[in-house]
Amino acid sequence: MAARIFALLSVTVFLSIALFLGCQKLGGSGPIQQPIAFSHKIHAGDNQIPCLYCHTYADRSQVAGIPAVETCMGCHKIVGLGKPEVQKVHDYWNKKEPIPWKRVHDLQDFVYFSHKRHVKAGVACENCHGQIAQMDVVEQVSSLKMGWCVTCHESRAKDKEQLTVLKDCATCHK
Amino acid sequence: MQVTRRDFMKILGATGAGVAATSCGAKLDKTPIEEIIPYVVPEEDVVPGIATYYSSVCRECPAGCGLVVRTREGRAVKLEGNPNHPINKGSLCVRGQAGLQGLYNPDRIKGPHRKNEVGEWVSITWEEAQGLLVEKLKEVLAQGERQRVSFLTGNISGNLDSLIDSWLKIFRSENRIVYEPFSYESMKKAGEIVFGVEAVPTFHIENSDFLLSFGADFMETWLSPVQYAKGFAEMHRPKKEGGQGRQMGKFVQVEPRRSMTGANADLWVSVKPGTEPFFALGVLNEALLHLWKKEGGDARKAMLRSWLSYQGITTPKVAELTGVEEMTIKTIGREFASAKRPLAIGSGVAGSGTNATATWVAAYLLTAITGSMGKTVDWGRVQNVDRLTPFTQVVSWVERLKKGEVDVLLVHQANPAYTLPKSAGFSEALKKVPFVVSFSSFWDETTTQAHLVLPDHHPLESFGDYSPQTGIHGLYQPTMRPIFKTQPMGDTLLSVAAAFPSNPFKEGRYLDYLKSSWSALYPKGGQNGSLESFWQESLRKGGYWQETHSKEVSISNRLFTFKVKEPVLEGDGEYRLVVYPSVKFYEGRGANKPWLQEIPDPVTKVVWNSYVEIHPEVAEKLEVRHGSVVELRLGESSLKGPVLLNPWIQKETIAIPLGQGHEEYGRYAQGRGFNPLSILPLQVETVSGGFAWTSSRVRMAPTGERVLLVKTSGSIDDRNRDIAGLVSFEDLKAGSVHREEEEIQDKLLYDESWRHEKGIRWAMAIDSSSCTGCSACVAACYAENNVPIVGEQECAKGREMAWIRIETYEEPSTKGTHPVNVPMMCQQCGNAPCESVCPVYATYHNYEGLNIQVYNRCVGTRYCSNNCPYKVRRFNWFAYKFPDTFNLQLNPDVTVRDKGVMEKCTFCIQRIREVKDHAKDEGRLPRDGEIVPACAQTCPTNAIVFGDLNDPNSKVSRLSRSERGYHAIESINTKTAVTYLKKVHNGLRTA
Repeated sequence: MAARIFALLSVTVFLSIALFLGCQKLGGSGPIQQPIAFSHKIHAGDNQIPCLYCHTYADRSQVAGIPAVETCMGCHKIVGLGKPEVQKVHDYWNKKEPIPWKRVHDLQDFVYFSHKRHVKAGVACENCHGQIAQMDVVEQVSSLKMGWCVTCHESRAKDKEQLTVLKDCATCHK
Repeated sequence: MQVTRRDFMKILGATGAGVAATSCGAKLDKTPIEEIIPYVVPEEDVVPGIATYYSSVCRECPAGCGLVVRTREGRAVKLEGNPNHPINKGSLCVRGQAGLQGLYNPDRIKGPHRKNEVGEWVSITWEEAQGLLVEKLKEVLAQGERQRVSFLTGNISGNLDSLIDSWLKIFRSENRIVYEPFSYESMKKAGEIVFGVEAVPTFHIENSDFLLSFGADFMETWLSPVQYAKGFAEMHRPKKEGGQGRQMGKFVQVEPRRSMTGANADLWVSVKPGTEPFFALGVLNEALLHLWKKEGGDARKAMLRSWLSYQGITTPKVAELTGVEEMTIKTIGREFASAKRPLAIGSGVAGSGTNATATWVAAYLLTAITGSMGKTVDWGRVQNVDRLTPFTQVVSWVERLKKGEVDVLLVHQANPAYTLPKSAGFSEALKKVPFVVSFSSFWDETTTQAHLVLPDHHPLESFGDYSPQTGIHGLYQPTMRPIFKTQPMGDTLLSVAAAFPSNPFKEGRYLDYLKSSWSALYPKGGQNGSLESFWQESLRKGGYWQETHSKEVSISNRLFTFKVKEPVLEGDGEYRLVVYPSVKFYEGRGANKPWLQEIPDPVTKVVWNSYVEIHPEVAEKLEVRHGSVVELRLGESSLKGPVLLNPWIQKETIAIPLGQGHEEYGRYAQGRGFNPLSILPLQVETVSGGFAWTSSRVRMAPTGERVLLVKTSGSIDDRNRDIAGLVSFEDLKAGSVHREEEEIQDKLLYDESWRHEKGIRWAMAIDSSSCTGCSACVAACYAENNVPIVGEQECAKGREMAWIRIETYEEPSTKGTHPVNVPMMCQQCGNAPCESVCPVYATYHNYEGLNIQVYNRCVGTRYCSNNCPYKVRRFNWFAYKFPDTFNLQLNPDVTVRDKGVMEKCTFCIQRIREVKDHAKDEGRLPRDGEIVPACAQTCPTNAIVFGDLNDPNSKVSRLSRSERGYHAIESINTKTAVTYLKKVHNGLRTA
């Protein structure tokens, strides 16, 4: 008996280590290293650039969109020249290569989520994305899990009929 | 000592705690970090997450239907018919829908290749490849002989056609072959004999009220199947016209084996193969007699009657020759002559024998004598088949190849090594050509024997034009960037031409050539605006259509010297061999598309294979059964194949579909089934010189082997469960068809919660009378809903994944039975038997009456499937793969389901969602007809209508109230959202 339990416990330890290492590889907690140390604090906070200036599709498509390198260059042809991180943007632009940003907010592929519908319903970006304007490095602050979505849907439903729609599985599951 | 279950759980708990302690906090479930790649410069007309549509032309067969290509994030994800196109008016056939699997086929040739000294294919660069071709052509030119360079293409019409002709002239050659396996020589010839017009006209089936076809498979492959299926649906619809009560056309099909088209006929007449011309002349004789009685005689009728007696046509003789009762011939003749706008069409392509021209002569005469030629046949709009090289010339060209008269052969959109009968010896001829260049995108039978491969773009990746009929100029454009290192053939030819001093082209790119040629159409358009705006407008619309003027034709004197000949049959066997084109594969070009392999043949319901169709009585005599392998022998050649029993075939006839038996052509086609062209003799039609497909008598012997031959249908009988329904037009007209209220067997099982009186209830109405069984909806569903393919072995276990299927049942009618097609998909039951048995609430009823399947909740008990009376739920037994590059076609709006999950038709909920989203932006509700599921969208006959059942004015609720309406298996009280409309059978009046 003891031997068997010991064996199972070793498996436990092994699994724990493996999962720990696995998580390291998966990125784990904390901020994600981006190819350019882009600061939302400087752009959206200090300089008060509206979210939709860069994430142009947020009010007309499912996806908010990541700005094209051209959009970055629109300002950075003149602004911030000589700064090493801005120089990186210039490098991508000169090579005509896209910047391989790392995805921070990643919904599962089976979820139908439309930025447009939420923006048009008057949900502010910060509701889900947190105080982006104060973040140097963007982190995910909401769980983006079903329970979290449903809680908000429930609280925003005006009447029973709307609650039915907002709580229907097929509203989000595709 | 044992570890008890309790101990095990404890330890497992400790494991969990251990993992939690050592793990990385809240983001344990985080999937690998994805990259999110922006544009460098954003595309002007692309918004990620929103589909962009491009007009194009379907190039899967020569019909040239218009396309609208739905693209998402730079990938074509769905093909739909162009609603403004004059040919297909928004619909596509099964082959058209599967066009995407040509584009994304993993077996495409990924770049230029050269065959090295030891016969292996070596990948090379485009510079090297073009250099190699230039070098060879220079050698040929240096020799100074003419006609040493030959160019073989399929029917490409348009500007590429003229470019090739000019290009060949650089090398002092006019050695051009335009080869299509189905080339309609007998039709052209009959036009010349009867009217002095050597052309193939357009038929207005929609205008006729009596259609008589001598084996033309006009809903499958013949000329323009979508156009003609549409026409048929219109003529065969029970309609109310100007106070005369209901009207409905009749359709009679005469052929030795009941085709899909024949299964839609009100009367299917089985004749001995090759005797169709005599039958047609017999009907002509009877029709003339009837007209003589009705209208009195005149000189023309008298001449025709004496011409018929010169042919030796009498009804008893025709009855004896064809094996059809005299009464049937008389009835058809009389009804044809008494119809208002009758139309007769001649033999189809593959069913035609050595005397097929005569069938067409009789058919044209039938239409002409009744005076409906101008109404039902349009000689002003002719098919583009005039460019096709007649079959006899193709054969003599092959002979020239054999003699080594060609130094360089270029092949584009043609695969004669497969599509020509083996007896023509094309493969041997190819060995005598020192340098063969193929522009094919696939390693087909011809390409693998080439020396240089310069793969062309797929049409969905390239610019081009195609003109299938007079005045119809289709224009296509790239809908996405090319997937592989391919190059448009036009560009390749132009850059090769640039290496020669006699280069006649001023353009360096094919696009410029096309654009400047397209401008030739501009003045005729009489439009305002610049040439550039005309080009842009044409691109946007998918082409440019000109009005045509109908042309009068009259019977020419040449007719009276024409004599019908007896059919010539090679071989001494007991069985006549009928080879017919496949609705899925055409002549074989579709065989590399797995959707087409897995979608059951509309008639035989066989998947992934080919077969020898024989009559059940013959099978009994030979002591063979379904799947038994027989050997067919004709002279020296033979082939082996499994038997399929078909009660709707002549007893002394065996039938084989074209399309399988590829020796090459990629993983899905290769080594599957057999190719009947391997034994067909090289017989030609005696008058026109076209290939005679039905010209042999073969011997058949059982081999004793038996193989798997998978059919997806279990029975042709619905065993009175009210799955299919049939009414006669007479009853319908007399008002004696009533909505039958089924007696509900067990009401207690369900409460009345299915009722959706408020809000929307999505529903469908499906008219069995319009459904031809063509299976375009099935292919559309595969494309739209990321439905995986499972292969032959899994299909044998009933594990095919199709969300919609065509069930065909034989329903009792006045004379025997009549086939009825029932497209079967999730019925979105009000009282859904699946919902109540799901232990995890993965399937439930939503507020719009949809039966939702939540994949994430599903744990795969399969209870729902067991409880579904319609067998429409599909289970993912494995993690079905979408191999590179088929994965690029996946619709991003639909989840790709994983192993262990149940799935089924959703009524295309992603389309409902998309339209609702759009409507909400405009502050309104979706309009009736705005939401169109993929199946309904592509249906050539508009048999499927979708909408809100709770809106009393919607089309779907009007149809659902029809007297022909019923629900499938209504008696079990499932309260389905799908209403079927019984098929209407408009039988002939028996004399």
